[in-house]
Amino acid sequence: MTKEYILQIKNLRKHFPVKNVWGTDIALVKALDGVDLNIEIGKTFGIVGESGCGKTTLMRTLLRLVEPTSGSVILSDQFIGKSGRTLENLTNKELRLFRRQIGVVFQDPMGALNPRMLIKDIVGEPLVIHGKTGNLRERVIELLENVGLGEEHLYRYPHEFSGGQRQRIVIARALALDPKVLVLDEPTSALDVSVQAQILNLLNDLQVKFNLTYVFISHDLSVIEYMCDRLAVMYLGKVVEEADTEELFFNPQHPYTKALLSATPSFEKNTKRIMILGDVPSPITYLDESKAKLATDITEQERLEIKAIEGKNIDYIIRSSLNEVFPLIEVSEKHFARVKS
Amino acid sequence: MLEIKGLKTNFNTYDGIVKALDGVNLTVKDGEIFGLVGETGSGKSVTCYSALKLLPKTGEVVDGTVLLDGEDITNASEERLRQIRGGKIGIIFQDPLSALNPVMTINEQIGEVLILHQDKELKELSLEREIPVYNSKKFSFSPGIEFTIWAICISFISLFSMLGQFNFGLPFFFIIAIMLLRDYLQQDVPDSALDILVVESLSKVKLPNPKQIAKSYPHELSGGMQQRVMIAMALAGKAKMLIADEPTTALDVTIQAQILQLIKDIQREENMSVLLITHDLGVVAETCERVAVMYKGKIVEENTVNNIFKNPQHPYTKALLNAIPKGGKERLKVPEIGEHGAI
Repeated sequence: MTKEYILQIKNLRKHFPVKNVWGTDIALVKALDGVDLNIEIGKTFGIVGESGCGKTTLMRTLLRLVEPTSGSVILSDQFIGKSGRTLENLTNKELRLFRRQIGVVFQDPMGALNPRMLIKDIVGEPLVIHGKTGNLRERVIELLENVGLGEEHLYRYPHEFSGGQRQRIVIARALALDPKVLVLDEPTSALDVSVQAQILNLLNDLQVKFNLTYVFISHDLSVIEYMCDRLAVMYLGKVVEEADTEELFFNPQHPYTKALLSATPSFEKNTKRIMILGDVPSPITYLDESKAKLATDITEQERLEIKAIEGKNIDYIIRSSLNEVFPLIEVSEKHFARVKS
Repeated sequence: MLEIKGLKTNFNTYDGIVKALDGVNLTVKDGEIFGLVGETGSGKSVTCYSALKLLPKTGEVVDGTVLLDGEDITNASEERLRQIRGGKIGIIFQDPLSALNPVMTINEQIGEVLILHQDKELKELSLEREIPVYNSKKFSFSPGIEFTIWAICISFISLFSMLGQFNFGLPFFFIIAIMLLRDYLQQDVPDSALDILVVESLSKVKLPNPKQIAKSYPHELSGGMQQRVMIAMALAGKAKMLIADEPTTALDVTIQAQILQLIKDIQREENMSVLLITHDLGVVAETCERVAVMYKGKIVEENTVNNIFKNPQHPYTKALLNAIPKGGKERLKVPEIGEHGAI
């Protein structure tokens, strides 16, 4: 059986220019650097990575909130009724139709809700904008009931709700136009575990009920493992590993994935862990090559750090400041270090 | 080390009294890492703020005693409390960027702690090495390449205009010349005792290139580095106890692992006590020896980490453990509790 893909991302790139005082480009921030992903219909596709790895840029490019530098996203014919359309050459009218089919849930629910609007206006706004004003009140109540709220919440303001309820409202609004795809950008990172459990259950129920496809962005691996069918690990604007969730969790291939998995706090003590030293290297690529090679060697401090860790049952990885595809270079069996020039 | 007995804290609000803490008993022993878990509003942070009297004006400690190293600090004077905060107990807050002052350099911020709590050591060091205790505020304008070009351009303009007749270019020329000269001269000023101790405390938290970091402002550092600076600040006063209030919530998992490892290492090296406040049960399992679970302003269960995860007694602890998503795809059990613990 061939798999049916709803979105096919082909070699997507987004480079943001960095300008100096005179206004000339001196560097590029490679937020997305050649991303290839196929998102299957009716499944949950997870994207993990640290902050700054390009998860959110990917989401924004998928919604065409930012224009990609190059690459394309092939849309399935479910979106606008024509097959073979790509995201970057949609006409304005088609784009409007496309945006109707794709809902978004942002990380911070309070930031996503206008504090001066009533809930009925917030949830009804997409319907009004897209001209579906017939039975507006009934439709809003139906949407609220879908997410476990009710008629009594119609005439309230966002600040009267708790964090979990606000996230429910955001989900209700995202569902207003019967989307095919729901993009969830860290939907539970601002919530407690018990509330998080409620929201995750709700999302699972809604997926079955409306046959939704989720693109689930998160940095919490336990949530990702629970929610997703397939998973991509991003690092510095690239997908370093993509696999089915179970396969990726049991048999990670890339050293970065291994380190990321072992960094998650777990209940089993004394598991061997791989430490990543240092911060995420800057995604900036200098156009002038002489600037790019400033920091390549291991610093004295890092040597001390390695000495401190050695023999403690911990493997370690040092991030490279070089902007390479796989910045982790294997030195010996278990030791990775940054490249020496 | 820290002993809290029957602590009760109320908040006076327009809607009436909120009992944030309802009789909290807690003991942190010497040289152990003690975890305090609970959800938002359960009173974790209020416990530590009440103990150190850092509550806002609406909050009020009604009852209970706090013993630190055998000393009753419940009714301690403001003067004594100032010595304790930073001197005996260091605190790390959740969001490092908002806890650090954005308009002061790291050097100045850690220096403040040292001047307040390490006065003697500073004086000793300055006597020993014959250096000043601290330099007067440095003129910290370092000319980058762009500035230098500007300076040369402007001085040329002023020189040319000087050839004709005196005009406003002349003072500019002198000001720039003095700035450059001053900066050049100041590079040779020896480090003060304060500088040395600041760099020492920064290298203790394994920050690379501590001298450079001491000169920078908080926004120039990454989240992990900021949190390390916070830890350095908390430890600068040679505190025997560290209270970490959600130290890793704002960080990525990889950075979180680094910071937790750092806290563990420092705790072992200095034999400190650590009170780790968090809502992440995984963090507790990884770091702590004993743990207390808070719910609605009370401690519902206290046990060693192994026991609490293998054999939770209280229904709330069980519910909390069940709510964590695990490998399987079965439906999560939602604890039947309100979203906010207190009130």
